[in-house]
Amino acid sequence: MTASAKLLLMALSLALGTTSAALAQAVAPAPLGALSPENLSKQRPKAPFDLTGTWLHDNKDGPNSWRFIPPTFKLTPQAQEQYDLGQKATKEGKVYRDDIGQCWPAGMPLIMTRVWPIAMVQLPTAIYMTSAFMNSLRIIYLDGRQHSNPDIVVPSFNGESIGHWEGNTLVVDTKYFPGHHHWMDQGGASIPASDQLHIVERIRMINSGKVLEIEYTMTDPKSWEGDWKMTKRWNRVDDDITEVECWPDLNDHIRSTSSSSQIR
Amino acid sequence: MKKIIHSIIGLSIVFMTVSLAGHHSPAVFDRTKEVKLVGSVKEFRWSNPHSFIELDVRNEKGGTDTWAVEMDPPTYLVKAGWTARTIKAGDMVTIVVNPVRTSEPIGKFVSITLPGGKVLTEKPPSPTP
Repeated sequence: MTASAKLLLMALSLALGTTSAALAQAVAPAPLGALSPENLSKQRPKAPFDLTGTWLHDNKDGPNSWRFIPPTFKLTPQAQEQYDLGQKATKEGKVYRDDIGQCWPAGMPLIMTRVWPIAMVQLPTAIYMTSAFMNSLRIIYLDGRQHSNPDIVVPSFNGESIGHWEGNTLVVDTKYFPGHHHWMDQGGASIPASDQLHIVERIRMINSGKVLEIEYTMTDPKSWEGDWKMTKRWNRVDDDITEVECWPDLNDHIRSTSSSSQIR
Repeated sequence: MKKIIHSIIGLSIVFMTVSLAGHHSPAVFDRTKEVKLVGSVKEFRWSNPHSFIELDVRNEKGGTDTWAVEMDPPTYLVKAGWTARTIKAGDMVTIVVNPVRTSEPIGKFVSITLPGGKVLTEKPPSPTP
């Protein structure tokens, strides 16, 4: 090998080495999967409660029990514009931007208060929630991981939820939303949920494990000012969930979704 | 007194129905109005997220309107006495709906009178005292 060929080889290996090091720095090692045997078998303190079961939101106070409308709020100009259009539609007997009816996901927090119950399975590493509405999946990680790198995470309507225990309360932090076709209410207060929506849930199990109480603190600087706080309850029910899909031809039959009283 | 009790029952039924939020907003239906439809079942689909009935109804012009009658999910209907075989295409039935606020033939199911005269709603029968 000539001297110049040796030099070229050295330069190449240096360049390759630098690239690999840079790549290793940019991409942090992925956490162990929540269902990996290694993660599941790690020693952890016993969880204060197990919410494995099927839950249906408490509907006894009528529509306000499922709606997410704060008693008082100050919206940003862009959210106020949407809200006003929603109010105008309601006054005219119309419905403004019912994206859920067009098969867009309900997303957090509305997915928690649909007509259908939510099946929850709690493991030491995560809670898996499947809403019987559109089989919507929500995962709350409990294995000590941090939120994902914002440059890598894929925004989703139910967001990324990371939970930890504070005494007998499960505190869940949820963010990373898509910021489009996502609303805080359906067919009422048209307050949009932006990609800056951030939800903290304080979850308690009460009434001998029959009732789940969640205190919500929600911020979204693109849509409203300050903290939006609400507390809602779920009752344990003995129903199994079933498959619910928004088929391509569903709204051909559910024709109110294309009625002229819908404002898109 | 009887009248008052009936009104109260009526109000609670409306209240319960409005409070359910499903695939789409229920605000599109006018809950203060009821329309009685007599016609032939074109299709009854027992499905999630909503069951539905398409009902052929003769209109004033001598033609036929196909009404889209939207219903709750089967999990609720079962508790109200429904099965997938309760009605089938061709059955002559009477259906009461809350119509949409436009003149379109679309409504939210309230009750049905089956060919044999039996009446079903979407709500479980009240427990007898």
